[in-house]
Amino acid sequence: MSELAVPKPEPEAKQASLWKDAFHTMRRRPDVIIALVILLFVFAMAAFPALFTDKSPTRCIGREARQRPDTWFRGEHPLGTDAFGCDFAATIVHGTRPTIVLALTVIVLAVLIGLVLGMLAGYYGGWLDAVISRMLDVFIVVPLLLGAILLLSLFRGRGSSGNVIETVAPAAIALTIFGWMEFCRYVRAATIETKNLDYVVAARCLGAKDRRIMFRHILPNAIIPVTAVVPTTIGAIIVTESALAVLGIGVQPPATSWGVLLSNGTQWAGGGYIYLFGLPLLLLVLTVFAFATFGDALRDALDPKLR
Amino acid sequence: MADTIRVAGDTLPGADMNASLLEVDGLRVDFTVRRKRIPAVRGASFTLDQGTTLAIVGESGSGKSVTSQAIMGILDSPPGHITGGEVRLRGVDLLQQDEETKRTVRANHIAMVFQDALSALNPLWSVGFQIGELYRVHRGTSRKDAKQKAIELLDLVGIPDAKNRIGHYPHQFSGGMRQRVMIAMALALDPEVLIADEPTTALDVTVQAQIMRLLKKIQQERNMGLILITHDLGVVADVADDVAVMYAGEIVEQASIHDTFARPAHPYTKALLRAIPRVDTVGRELEVIRGLPPNPASLPSGCPFHPRCWAVEPKKCSSEVPPFEPVADDHRSRCHFAKEVYRDER
Amino acid sequence: MGRYVIRRILQGLLTLFIVLFLLHYLMALSVQIRGNPAILFFGGERTPPPAMLAQVERLYGLDNNCYERTGDPCLVPFVERLQNYASGDFGTTLNGNRNVGELLGIYIPNTLRLFIFATLTLVVVAMVLGTWAARHRGRFIDHSVRGTTILIDSVPVFLILLAYVYMAAVPLTRWARDIWGTESFMGQVFRPNYNPDYPWTTILVPGIIVGTVGLATLTRLVRASQLENLGSDFVRTARAKGLGKMRITIVHVVRNSMIPIVTGVGYLFAFMLSGAVLTEGIMGIPGMGRMIFQAVQRQETNLVVVGLTVSAVVVVLVSLIVDLLYAALDPRIRYE
Repeated sequence: MSELAVPKPEPEAKQASLWKDAFHTMRRRPDVIIALVILLFVFAMAAFPALFTDKSPTRCIGREARQRPDTWFRGEHPLGTDAFGCDFAATIVHGTRPTIVLALTVIVLAVLIGLVLGMLAGYYGGWLDAVISRMLDVFIVVPLLLGAILLLSLFRGRGSSGNVIETVAPAAIALTIFGWMEFCRYVRAATIETKNLDYVVAARCLGAKDRRIMFRHILPNAIIPVTAVVPTTIGAIIVTESALAVLGIGVQPPATSWGVLLSNGTQWAGGGYIYLFGLPLLLLVLTVFAFATFGDALRDALDPKLR
Repeated sequence: MADTIRVAGDTLPGADMNASLLEVDGLRVDFTVRRKRIPAVRGASFTLDQGTTLAIVGESGSGKSVTSQAIMGILDSPPGHITGGEVRLRGVDLLQQDEETKRTVRANHIAMVFQDALSALNPLWSVGFQIGELYRVHRGTSRKDAKQKAIELLDLVGIPDAKNRIGHYPHQFSGGMRQRVMIAMALALDPEVLIADEPTTALDVTVQAQIMRLLKKIQQERNMGLILITHDLGVVADVADDVAVMYAGEIVEQASIHDTFARPAHPYTKALLRAIPRVDTVGRELEVIRGLPPNPASLPSGCPFHPRCWAVEPKKCSSEVPPFEPVADDHRSRCHFAKEVYRDER
Repeated sequence: MGRYVIRRILQGLLTLFIVLFLLHYLMALSVQIRGNPAILFFGGERTPPPAMLAQVERLYGLDNNCYERTGDPCLVPFVERLQNYASGDFGTTLNGNRNVGELLGIYIPNTLRLFIFATLTLVVVAMVLGTWAARHRGRFIDHSVRGTTILIDSVPVFLILLAYVYMAAVPLTRWARDIWGTESFMGQVFRPNYNPDYPWTTILVPGIIVGTVGLATLTRLVRASQLENLGSDFVRTARAKGLGKMRITIVHVVRNSMIPIVTGVGYLFAFMLSGAVLTEGIMGIPGMGRMIFQAVQRQETNLVVVGLTVSAVVVVLVSLIVDLLYAALDPRIRYE
């Protein structure tokens, strides 16, 4: 019966080809390319603001306040100036970094928490699973924005000295605490499924240690559904931060984020200074749209069943 | 119930009662995959007479299920297209009929039993509803009468306590009972042709035999034509009258069940027979067929079976397509060496 | 069925209890770390006379010693709080000293109206677009539906609203009033703010805008579940039974695809709650969302906690309803 003994495909090889296939599918989609270009632009602004503007957002001249950007992207202030006479282009560019740093910090922390708790719950089951699942239930009852509102208003500081820890960290922590549940749920489900697959059971029978099984076999599987929702979630975090900013409890001054700019811009939007509201809005929507499009394509590529 | 009087309008217009029950003639089906056309059935022809059972045997991917779906007119299209041939029911070519006629032919004249009853039945409706639905849609029967008829049918296929089981949902039945429900559903409108696509593959061996016996019994009682689609020659040995062996989208051998088992005339059939466990081969290793079924997108040249054939003559088999020729009365084979294989005792 | 329902209800109650406790504990921690919110009653940093402070503390239930020990879960006040909630006493606002329970009586119906419009918009639009995309899978319509819904979903609700309020509402209202008059439906529907005289009409537009929350997610879900069912074995059986296209769609596809859609709506409900906070704040709708909005701005933590409690009750209730609908739709769960 030797002919029937078809070599069993290695799980690791299967994983590699899934990612490779996903990469190939994504590369051929024009919407993904556009989304990537937008994201690259935004990340470049966050990393190297000096490339995009030579002005400082803190150098403000009162008598130059509220110059409309009528110069068509040329001249002293390509995007005009804001209510205090600061160069608006510089303000937007320098507002990118806190926005992106906050979003990336939250997503990394939330994914880590989700992965660890989800794998523990799914792999060991029993009381650990019961506790973690109950925690999931409890946290899921509080929507991300409301949870962040709760924490930030309960533990609001009294002014800040201006370093990153005090301006960005509270919002980041609050969003993380109410942002890990989705990842945890996915990881837990994927872990339970993978745990009972034949090759994992076989590995356990051969005496592989728990930690090795988790990292070698379960993690590669659990990471797939998580990856698929990461870009969309980053978009959601950026949006939630801007909502917090409008409420005045997001990123604190002197740091600015897009949300802070939007919230400042609303009071001028009706009075003919629409660019103060419209430009940050455009940037935020483009970025979130790029993340969402990329995420949607990624999800399709990683789950090709219903393309 | 075999002599139930047919409701007016149920008979097929233009039907010739002297013609054969079902004739499939040169049926061709292509699949379009990534803008490429891949032939799945390449000119299948066979005849099914009233009161007989035809087994269509082949490996997965040989085109046997596609053939049955094309006859039923339920091929998923796209990707599948019927590109040629005729399917004649009592002389009427079904492929030429309008959508409405095709719809009435299904269930009224040709009905189908699927392989996996758990997924083939809608999980959200009771079995009574799903059987009764046929009467209500095709006959305009009232809800109550339809339920009564459904109970009778469940009784007929041997489901105990049919009266209470009627309100149960598919997941509440065992595998064998579920397959009986499928059979009951297929029988509802008293069709002349019943197609059973691997009806026992998902079942335990003991249940397999019961379902086969049930199908045979109903086929005889109602004098139906039965097409059994299977990959397992052993399962159909007691039930079928004729056998058509499919390979790579073609029928490669066609004969009565007796002839097929006694004197196969195609190397593939012979190989299939050797792979059945038998009492007189106890202690010997079962034979397997080398290699894998061919990829329909790139069929081997010449005879499509030649890369796996044990009786191959390299030059001829890899260049010339063998003709489908008789080796005896009602026994045809698609092999250059059909006569030699036929003469050869197995 | 009965056991299933009871188990779900008990689970929901347990979750709710833990949420309430956590809310209480967080608030206690906040008092312990940040100091006494009763001071706010006297308007910020000024130190009030101790006797008056003690009176105010008693008034707001902050007179327990546990509030001075950082980390103490303050179980006694928690039990008192639960008792108060149960008897309908939600405390009073620091600003204006109004009875929160009475305020809830006004606010909750307004928010419910908002949600009725929002949910209807979400479900109807997603069903139509998702079905449409599924029928034209892989073709231009499919891609455009996907792109459009993602774009709509990418614009945060409150920004759509702000844009609407600052740019579209005034000219639209003026235009409509010129044609139909101020008191007509059309004259009111585009207003940039809520008008208590027209509790339904003036909540329609914000409701529709809140309904775009999660549009992409739900459309995607509808599309996927329809595709899955259209390609399923039981739809093939239905075709083999000679059923017509309409009957197959209505009887065998729609009901089966309702299950993921119900789940999706339940899941998105929590997000709509978030959307309501800013929507009501911006439009001036006196609802739960605006209460939380103002509570944050006025630093009234008690109101934030009450608002979140109500939202938690709603979310638990909605997920309970979803579970029951699940059972109603799917016999496999009903006969578990």
